[in-house]
Amino acid sequence: MLALQLLINGLVTGCALGVVSVSFGLIYATTKLFHVAHAGVYTLAGYLAWSLVRQGVPDIVSLLIAMVASAAVGAAIQGVLYAELERRRATHLVVLIASLGMLAVMQNIIAAVYTPNILQFPLPWSSRMIGIGNVRLTWTQVLTVVLCLGAFAGIMWFSHRTILGKQIRAVASNPFLAEITRLRPQRVYVTVMAIGSAAAALPGVLVPLDLGLQPYGGVTPLLTATIAMIAGGIGSIGGSFLLAVGIAVLQNLSLLIMPGEWSIGVTFGIFVVFMLFRPTGLFTRR
Amino acid sequence: MDFLYSYIALAEVYVLLGLSTNLLVGIAGIFTVSQAAVFGVGAYIVAYCLMHEIVGFVPALLLASACCVVLNVLVTLPSLRVSGDYFVVTSFGIQLMATAIFINWTGGTGGANGLPGIPPPDLFGFPLESNELLVLLTTAGTGFGCLAFWLIMRAPFGRLLRAIREDELAVAAAGKGVLRAKVSAAALAGAFAGSAGGLYATFLSFVDPSSFDLDASILLLTMVVVGGARTLPGSILGPFLLLALPQALAFIDIPTSIAASARQLIYGLLLIAFMLFRPQGLAGEKL
Amino acid sequence: MTPAYLQAQGLEVAFGGLRALQDCSFTVDKGRITCLVGPNGAGKTTIFNAITGFLKPQEGSVSFKGRVLDGLKPQDIVAAGIARSFQNLRLFQDLTALDNVLVALPNMAGEDPLGAIFRPLHAARALKQRRDEGREILAHVGLADKADIFVRNLSYGEQKLLTIARLLATGAELLLLDEPASGLSAGALEAVMVLLRRLQSEGKTLLVVEHNTRVVQKIADDVLFLHQGHLMAQGTPERIISDPALAEIYFGGAI
Repeated sequence: MLALQLLINGLVTGCALGVVSVSFGLIYATTKLFHVAHAGVYTLAGYLAWSLVRQGVPDIVSLLIAMVASAAVGAAIQGVLYAELERRRATHLVVLIASLGMLAVMQNIIAAVYTPNILQFPLPWSSRMIGIGNVRLTWTQVLTVVLCLGAFAGIMWFSHRTILGKQIRAVASNPFLAEITRLRPQRVYVTVMAIGSAAAALPGVLVPLDLGLQPYGGVTPLLTATIAMIAGGIGSIGGSFLLAVGIAVLQNLSLLIMPGEWSIGVTFGIFVVFMLFRPTGLFTRR
Repeated sequence: MDFLYSYIALAEVYVLLGLSTNLLVGIAGIFTVSQAAVFGVGAYIVAYCLMHEIVGFVPALLLASACCVVLNVLVTLPSLRVSGDYFVVTSFGIQLMATAIFINWTGGTGGANGLPGIPPPDLFGFPLESNELLVLLTTAGTGFGCLAFWLIMRAPFGRLLRAIREDELAVAAAGKGVLRAKVSAAALAGAFAGSAGGLYATFLSFVDPSSFDLDASILLLTMVVVGGARTLPGSILGPFLLLALPQALAFIDIPTSIAASARQLIYGLLLIAFMLFRPQGLAGEKL
Repeated sequence: MTPAYLQAQGLEVAFGGLRALQDCSFTVDKGRITCLVGPNGAGKTTIFNAITGFLKPQEGSVSFKGRVLDGLKPQDIVAAGIARSFQNLRLFQDLTALDNVLVALPNMAGEDPLGAIFRPLHAARALKQRRDEGREILAHVGLADKADIFVRNLSYGEQKLLTIARLLATGAELLLLDEPASGLSAGALEAVMVLLRRLQSEGKTLLVVEHNTRVVQKIADDVLFLHQGHLMAQGTPERIISDPALAEIYFGGAI
């Protein structure tokens, strides 16, 4: 049944998108920065893993290295670029532009080194299918759901149960207060960027296993993820994830009635609806 | 000589387009990456009108400007009412959607192959076919744009926008409508971008989606950032410099396969460098 | 019975778990200088935000000259006749003193793009007139010779006077001043107090948040004592200041 298959595909993509959304949301809620370069980190992780796999590094290790490297890159962007801009008392607009510049730099270095063509992971196991009832899933899809749900659960647990997670939420809700009670916001920002970037690396590697790598392929997922974050309610980790899954499902189901090139229209349409009727999102804390 | 005319005319079109970005980003402080999309809408409208002989160049240009004004208002009004960051998402969405439409709506935009063979512009029936006349046209159009920009900057509206950029809350407390001013700025920016698009289409006689994508919007931002925000000299310097960049790069032996990425990489580096070390650009005021 | 000039009734404002205003009710009479006092965190600025539309209270309402202000945007409330200043000034640093005043002048020609582009001469003529208006307002607060100086080059005392000038430019009859005298030297303090009294004699009504008891004693006709988001006491300055229980809260209390 086509609709069921599309639904399942949507759930899988949604889990990946959900992690992007949650990771972006973590950064946005804490630093208040619309970190556009996040799409660059997402893309970089995939290419890094690809290079490692091609060199014979075992798959899991490649993934882990990609996540650690992404954490480092994210932390560096915050610690070197954003922190320096804040030191120079840059306006919000200036930081946004710098972030966009960083995105352009990352995407185009990748395009220059790896060519703009689509690259595939040389992993035969990734496209082998298993059948569950009427539905067929690739091993990649199964792995995506398992790992991304795990990452989501991990971030939820971290945010609500660990001291560091609570500190981060404190800084997010009141950086001034955090500053005067000896929680150093800059330290927290670097930590959050590291965690968020590592998290985004996960779908950054898993999604291209099926779809292939493309240097400019990070912007559309990021856009969809930010829409999910807004629709879910900024600050609501569960809300972002849920909405990401919802949007992905709707995108996939829309293939029943319209060609795939227009799926961005579905996403944007959902955004417009929220913008007009519920701009604060579904699950905003009051 | 032909080459020089091309460079000048193209740079002038980008000056006009850059005024639109400068108005939004530099003066009103609104981050936008969708100016290339609006540019494209203006270009495709004029191209379509001329190719199907619906109206002459001047009415087509006015139509394109009007449509772009409406487009910008529809896009900014609901999203700016919520917040600036909301508009960032909207802007990205509009840009990506526009590219999707430009590439896939083969009936209207010719799809990925674009629209070749756009007729030359005419001034109420009198065709402008020589390079000299075309450059005269772009110079006139850009001249009008610069005059309008200058008048705005000197008028109370310009002062209001500068105040909004500094402190919206204080402006609201002073009794002035902030959203209305921002949307007006966006509407005006639409007129600039739409007319620039129309001039672009007739000058090049060919348009395709690659001139109106996210990379193009990034180039526009780079022009404003490098040239400088909020000043007329900055708006003129930016496009002339950035459009000379590909020629300068030609002296370095860069393989054509990575030429495009190299250019975009440089734009990204310029954005970062200027934001860190010279936010006022070469001839502008601090962003 | 005529409605009170400014009336706040049952205002409730909460930020997350913090209740900034709890069942806050008070009135302000026309033509008087009313001072709003209370310890830090009592909710004074929150009241200003609620009155002027920067905040939407969860409960309660505010009415001015009998007209309910609930849900109005800040610029509409200014048009209705109430203007407020900010504790942290919020002046436009990159503009001159005169420009700061001009931004606040209502009905300015050329403040929309069409007017700016298509009627530049008309706007320029009208602008000359408005500039003269602006200079008069600056002279009124004692800043006549600072009109063309950029705000970042003004002294703190001059900046404080400029915030008052900006309020006057709006033409509002009820002025909400958030600590107009704080951080000023003795001479500047005196100038501000004289100015406030003069504004009152010109028909303005003032609601002033003030910490300095000497200032309160000198200028207030009425004092509203706020504590923990609730109006605790209301009366003449002498009565409020001499009340030991209130002094305990104000000076001896926490924060």
